[in-house]
Amino acid sequence: MTTLRSSVLRLLCWAIGIGFVLYVPFVLNTRTVFGYRVGNMVLLNLGLAQVDLMLISIIGAVSLNFLTGCAGLISVGHAAFFAVGAMAAAAAGQQLGLPFAATLIAATIAGAIAGVIAGLPSLRVRGLYFVLSTLALHFIVVFCFAEYQYAFHDVAGVTMGDATIMGFELDNNVKWYFFLLPFVVLVCVMLQSTLGLREGRAVLAMRDNELAAAASGIDVRMLRLKVFAFSSAIASLAGALQAYYFTSVSAEIYTLDTAIQFIAMIIVGGMGSIRGGIAGAVVWLLLPSVLVGTTVELKVLPGGVAQFLVGHQPQMVNLTFGVLVAVLLITAPGGLAGLARSFAARGSRQGSGV
Amino acid sequence: MSGVASAEAVLEVQGVFAAYAAKATALSDVSLTIPAGGMVALLGSNGAGKTTLIKAISGLLPLHHGTLVSGSVRIAGTNITGLRADRIVRLGLGQVPEGRLVFKHLTVEENLQVGAAVVPRAVGRERIAAVYDLFPRLAERRRQQAGLMSGGEQQMLALGRALASAPRILLIDELSLGLAPIIVKAIYAQLRAVRAAFGTAMLVVEQNAKLALEICDTAYVLERGVIVMSGSAAEVAASDRIRESYLGSSGGAL
Amino acid sequence: MLMQFLASGFMLGSVYGLVALGFAAIYKATRVFNFAQGMLMATGAYLAVTGSVVLGLPLVGTIAFVVVAAGTLGVVIQWLLIRPLAGRPLLAMVMITIALSIILRALIVIIFGGGAQTLRLGLPEGSFVLGSVRISAIHATAAGVSWLCMALFMVFFRFSKAGLLMRATADSHEAAVLSGVNVNRINATAWALGTILAAIGGVFLGQLQVASVELENIGLLALPAVVIGGLQSIPGAIIGGLLVGLIEQLSSGYISPKARDIFVYVPLLIILLVRPWGLFGERELGRV
Ligand SMILES: Nc1ncnc2c1ncn2[C@@H]1O[C@H](COP(=O)(O)OP(=O)(O)OP(=O)(O)O)[C@@H](O)[C@H]1O
Ligand SMILES: [Mg+2]
Repeated sequence: MTTLRSSVLRLLCWAIGIGFVLYVPFVLNTRTVFGYRVGNMVLLNLGLAQVDLMLISIIGAVSLNFLTGCAGLISVGHAAFFAVGAMAAAAAGQQLGLPFAATLIAATIAGAIAGVIAGLPSLRVRGLYFVLSTLALHFIVVFCFAEYQYAFHDVAGVTMGDATIMGFELDNNVKWYFFLLPFVVLVCVMLQSTLGLREGRAVLAMRDNELAAAASGIDVRMLRLKVFAFSSAIASLAGALQAYYFTSVSAEIYTLDTAIQFIAMIIVGGMGSIRGGIAGAVVWLLLPSVLVGTTVELKVLPGGVAQFLVGHQPQMVNLTFGVLVAVLLITAPGGLAGLARSFAARGSRQGSGV
Repeated sequence: MSGVASAEAVLEVQGVFAAYAAKATALSDVSLTIPAGGMVALLGSNGAGKTTLIKAISGLLPLHHGTLVSGSVRIAGTNITGLRADRIVRLGLGQVPEGRLVFKHLTVEENLQVGAAVVPRAVGRERIAAVYDLFPRLAERRRQQAGLMSGGEQQMLALGRALASAPRILLIDELSLGLAPIIVKAIYAQLRAVRAAFGTAMLVVEQNAKLALEICDTAYVLERGVIVMSGSAAEVAASDRIRESYLGSSGGAL
Repeated sequence: MLMQFLASGFMLGSVYGLVALGFAAIYKATRVFNFAQGMLMATGAYLAVTGSVVLGLPLVGTIAFVVVAAGTLGVVIQWLLIRPLAGRPLLAMVMITIALSIILRALIVIIFGGGAQTLRLGLPEGSFVLGSVRISAIHATAAGVSWLCMALFMVFFRFSKAGLLMRATADSHEAAVLSGVNVNRINATAWALGTILAAIGGVFLGQLQVASVELENIGLLALPAVVIGGLQSIPGAIIGGLLVGLIEQLSSGYISPKARDIFVYVPLLIILLVRPWGLFGERELGRV
């Protein structure tokens, strides 16, 4: 009886959620809901472009969360894999003349190979030393990207071909949204189900206690390489998508800050779960708008302060993000996902207690 | 539980309960008193909670994911329950922890200086000299890196470092670990000399119950976190229970 | 030409060595791998701007201001961010320092704007010729002061009581606690010293170039410097800094300025793979 009701409820939630996700791009594109105009503030000053970039970030964040949160391998090299993806896609598209879809596959394969190479130090070193090897990797890849860019493209950047799939050209944000969405869903579902597999459980076991995992017959070295290849293949795919979205990318955009932003996302969202990665990317998307747009539009702050906020928007966003990361690290190691879980647990305990 | 803090007790543990994150109760209702200049043995089989009690007294439990759930610890009348471990040391508690804990990268001399850092310079210098008298072996190796010494020498150094802080009360957890029996005997004899010279009280955890009962005045026996017996060393040594489980059949010939 | 590159590499490397030494001091005492060291260095340059331009202090006053402010900053960081995380896993420790550098960068840009600031402290200008090498007075001053600071630190670390307690804490946290060492105070001291050393390095780099948040990338070179030298080794940090300075000058002199990163980070990777404890560190089992 109750199970029936709750499953109906769950179905309803899913339906509403899916409807929302499918309808959002039109709302953001036309700034109307069912034909009625809505203010910028209601839409949190969001543009569809930001949402599209967020979808790409989600792919990056969940893949990093798989590597760091689930497998316990800390990497500051995630921007480098984005660069690998962009480079591979550009080379496959521009130099070899492959079609768009094929370049995405090429990027994924290149990412996996780069991941295996980048993961090799993990066979020798752990912890901090491994973090440093990913730092070195970052600078080396960015250097290679710059060399590639100057050799085959121009100083302005690596130009990508048209993103056309089966004669259908991705030339506006709405099309991109519906192109990216399945990727996000696919990646999340794939990672989630991997965690349910025997191999996925082995990954978690390895993170929690490497010696015990090794003792129970898990080949931890091989497993680490596999995880690294898997995660970086996904990140490279995201990098290729991002490059096509931007139509042209240059070496300067792959900064250490980008890599750090991904780590910040999974810390804010919550380590070790797919949900955490998504939540972190969403916060990263919403923070600028909520922080600046709403305060200004609501006129809750005196003019001077609002002006100051608008004038320093990027810095204020970074400041808030940095403080958020620090506060969450200190007070809520589980991130937002962990907080939500403990709230839910408290709620259900109270519910059953009454 | 008298509840009265006797003036001459250096250490007074009252009704202490302790727990670890992974073990709900490691000590329950443990009380113990050490008079000024007293030498008290703490006996018990492996896992009884002896080390836990020492950590509870010295404030080190939090460092090992443990907590002192309730009860109180006083040094010379001052309540030290819940104080930070380093403050407790400065109130006059010295400790030779289980497993020789020395500063491996520092020299012998520097190890002793760290120990003496909590007392005024002159006192420290005097104490370090006394330690060298006590352990000529340390004096010979004063410029040697501690990590490169033998296990027994490191154990001596750990004891020396504790003595250098001029403690009112010294907690010693398994001094005999890794030391030749003959050396152990000699060190205990010297500890009695330390007590005579400086009036330092001691709580001695020792696997060699026979030896411990020989040198100490009183003894407590801890089993599964509970004090099951206490009394003068002679009384405890004479009890059947102790003779069977700690002293072996020949224990009667104490 | 070679002599010229070696000389400027040595002088620049001395400043890097100073920053790396600050990093090593923090790492050794508190086991925190401070990714914010580069930003602390940039902060030093801005503290100098504050002292000399905003407050209009003379040279000595500016230096005193930088030292006091940087020391205070180090203590605040330890107290606010590091201490609450005691005993937490590596990622939390790494991330908190990264968050710190994000915060510092944002604050600097909010206060001073994103553009670079010129820093004129009134240090000796001009240059002199030594054999076949032309040396600018500022470079020479920077190198001289760096070596002085490094020497002072070494004396402090080796011979003072606080230095002894710091080495003891680095050696064994638990043994230090039960010897009565106030570990929190030692850690705060280490952070204060590390921040001051970084800030002094930042003052000179800000003087040699301009004060900007991009100094962070130069300061970040302290990381490979320390690892190449050996994480556990204080002299190793200084030598690592020197090596990085030399590599930078030689590679940008003979190849291209862009080549610096590759010639610093490839050796880092190789060191990590074949000798993770660094050129001068001692092998430590279990910690790797
Ligand atoms: N850090 C810890 N976390 C959880 N349980 C612990 C911890 N340390 C000790 N224990 C448990 O507490 C109990 C008492 O341990 P303790 O070390 O005090 O014994 P002990 O009397 O010193 O034994 P031994 O003679 O072997 O040194 C044991 O059951 C032990 O397993
Ligand atoms: Mg024990």
